[in-house]
Amino acid sequence: MKKIVLLFFALLLSPAGYAQEKGSVLISGGTLITITDGNKENTDLLIEDGVITEIGRDLSAPDGVETIDASGKYVMPGIVDAHSHIAAVDVNEWTHPVTAEVTMEESIDPNDINMYWALAGGVTSIHLMHGSANVIGGQNETLKLRYGGDMDELRFEGAPRTIKFALGENPTRVHGQRFNVQPRTRMGVEQIVRDHFDAAFDYQRNRREYLEAREAYEEGARGEAPVPVAKNARMEVLVDILEGDIRVHCHSYRADEIMMLMRVFDDYGIENYTFQHANEAFKVAPELRKNGAYTSVFSDWWAYKFEVYYSTAFNASILNANGVINSINSDSGELIRHLNHEAAKTVHYGGTSKQDALRMITINPAMQLGIDDKVGSIEEGKHGDIAIWSGHPLSIYSMAEATFVDGKKYFDRDKDADDMRLEVNPEEDFEHAGRRWYEEHGRRGGTCLRGAEVRFNEQGMHFRHQTR
Amino acid sequence: MAASLQGWSQPAEAFENVIIHTADGEVVDGGTIVWRDGIIRSVGPEEEVTIPFDAYVRDGGDSLHVYPGFIDGMALWGSPDTDGPGGTPDEPGNPGYKRAGIQPQRYPSEHLKANDQALEKAAEMGFTTAALGLKGQMLPGQVDLFFIRGKQTPDNLLEEGVGVLAQFKEAKGPAYPSTTMGLMAQFRQLFYDAEALHRQQEYFASVSSSYPAPQKEKELEALYPVMKQKQPFFFVADSKENIERVLWLQDELGFDMVLVSGKEAYTKAQELRRREIPVLAGIDLPEKPDWMSTDDDGKDEKDRDTQPAEVTEEMQHFRERQQQAYKERINNINTLRESGVRVGYSSNGFNTSAIRKNLLILKEESGMNESQLLNILTQSTADILGYGQRLGDLEEGRLANFTVFDNPFTEEKAKGLFSVSNGEVTELDSESSN
Repeated sequence: MKKIVLLFFALLLSPAGYAQEKGSVLISGGTLITITDGNKENTDLLIEDGVITEIGRDLSAPDGVETIDASGKYVMPGIVDAHSHIAAVDVNEWTHPVTAEVTMEESIDPNDINMYWALAGGVTSIHLMHGSANVIGGQNETLKLRYGGDMDELRFEGAPRTIKFALGENPTRVHGQRFNVQPRTRMGVEQIVRDHFDAAFDYQRNRREYLEAREAYEEGARGEAPVPVAKNARMEVLVDILEGDIRVHCHSYRADEIMMLMRVFDDYGIENYTFQHANEAFKVAPELRKNGAYTSVFSDWWAYKFEVYYSTAFNASILNANGVINSINSDSGELIRHLNHEAAKTVHYGGTSKQDALRMITINPAMQLGIDDKVGSIEEGKHGDIAIWSGHPLSIYSMAEATFVDGKKYFDRDKDADDMRLEVNPEEDFEHAGRRWYEEHGRRGGTCLRGAEVRFNEQGMHFRHQTR
Repeated sequence: MAASLQGWSQPAEAFENVIIHTADGEVVDGGTIVWRDGIIRSVGPEEEVTIPFDAYVRDGGDSLHVYPGFIDGMALWGSPDTDGPGGTPDEPGNPGYKRAGIQPQRYPSEHLKANDQALEKAAEMGFTTAALGLKGQMLPGQVDLFFIRGKQTPDNLLEEGVGVLAQFKEAKGPAYPSTTMGLMAQFRQLFYDAEALHRQQEYFASVSSSYPAPQKEKELEALYPVMKQKQPFFFVADSKENIERVLWLQDELGFDMVLVSGKEAYTKAQELRRREIPVLAGIDLPEKPDWMSTDDDGKDEKDRDTQPAEVTEEMQHFRERQQQAYKERINNINTLRESGVRVGYSSNGFNTSAIRKNLLILKEESGMNESQLLNILTQSTADILGYGQRLGDLEEGRLANFTVFDNPFTEEKAKGLFSVSNGEVTELDSESSN
């Protein structure tokens, strides 16, 4: 407990020192889990100005660059969590079945201590997702856990745009059953997607024609004034999805609805997409493979609502064996602290190889987010986002000892007691500061339906929304 | 009394033997101030001021203090309370403008509650002018500038629409926008829609036939002046992150703005200065943590017993951070000033009775002296509201807005005795001024 209390409070460095700085460090003598090029024992890793510049033996540190002895330890790429809701102000703009215009980019809470806890689990990047209360939810934002920085400093520069879709019980219950607004059924969910894509095509054409007519009118090439078509923030984003500029990450569980969405996407020519959760994806693994669809699943979390009863701890392994690029995600402020254990379960249950298990929390989620050219493996030229582990990361006894983003250390277990990036409220007493996060969020903090909770009681499931 | 439209001249009025404080901190003992038709005609040491023969003269007995009338740059005094939760719209995602909290067309002058005690209290505290806004959600309405005269305030409008109030307040209950990111999207969409409507109206007006009539949307039309930078947003934001969000919107939509409240504005001081965004700062200061209180703070022994017997190392670290955070917040206004940001004052719902206590804290703990505080409450706020030549100081030609106190205004026992607003004298009820 003492350790945890220390972790909560005893954090003392000026936040100003953390910004989007890049660091240099030589990590010597560790076992490098490169992910893409096997394990390399007793190997040095040099990171300069945030980039991995050299991997080899007997490297010497340039002047002024710190050397960290990692002999007897494991060095692996920072974990990438493809589904997270930590560091969020709001998660669900649930009020309309389609809210493509909102973006988690504008809903970042840079003071969330969950980032520190995630760093302590070796995580360096997260996919901060909108919630699953609507069929087409908001856009997501990929972050690097540069904890202590402000909103802009947390952004993963160059990460492609992504958006949240959601199928099944969440959107049908929130909209159809609670407010009698389409969709009430899974059929309705499909129709919402199709109707909005069609509307986006119409909008795109009408808006383009209007802008062309306006230009012609203002240049005198056209006599008749056009009727304006207002720029529409929601439709603009839908158009970008159809144009292939935004990757879709879809909350889904059942095999039939996974198939449904793949058919819809095929109809509209949408190619780059990931099914999130996807508990029944194992049933349609060959179809997913054929369509080039990605999956991002829990290792063994289910039965929290009806559509999630048909589940198996073999899901990830079956998908992997079928050649589907699969990742293991957290969707939780708690699971994110030990995604290494979650990945290890695929070895335990499904006999997946250790290398493939580790891929599921590094390069595979990086591919799904379109950042695999930058992170997800230890390769020269990639970002210096790595963690040093006390033992093999798939061992239950191993701990991340230090975590680096862009070559800069953002977590150091030895110096935990001196770290003080935690936001301190002038009016808050010491004891309460430690309980604050749990009191505000409880155990449900950082999950998909935050702000639009569906709760069980004796009468069944009830939708409950929160406003501040 | 303001200039009569009937054509005859009003008698002058004067205070003599008073201590006059100007906005730049100058103090004139044995001073005289003369006003007529709502304008200060003469002010200064008695030997330099001639009191007209027809003046009604009050004697300050060499002990009363005259201050320029304080100006609240954005107060919610007299605003009706917002409606209740608002019920459930047929479609939460399309609640309509009003239900969503989009009402920029509303004018406080049409909604003000004359009997709001806050309007009386404000005069007692020394306020003679205030820009008043309405309570509400993201766009509650216009900001109107009033002379503050208790129940007569609604009849003393100086200017309508000095700005449009905007804030990050979600629609109440189940309605869009329900989140900060929803508000951001909604602000953008309103500008897009207003731009299209405006263009359609122009096209319609430019031809005599064969063009569809634009719909009348008063909510969007009310945003045209903001869109064209003819009227600023009075944007309420406190946290560093929300201030950054407002700046993102400004970059995209290109509006002029005044930042209102701005508790953490000090974190963006350089950026605010670069953008020439003035701040109407609040003084809703944080309570000092118990452990920081000294014996002088009047904490009784009981409170002290709750302090832990042992201060651990981690607790000490926490305290160091907390003290730093407290100081930063207390120093907000001073940091902004020193960074070259124009700073005025806004209560924005802050309890009027607590103003003096917090001004005292600012004086004692933020290193600002009385004249700097006075300047923020007067000239600086007048400048930000575009009334820097007419309000905010005691000098010839300014509107006759001032308050007569029995003690310097930063003293806890100070009571307002007379409030003069637009030349009209109100004798304040000293019983209720505590």
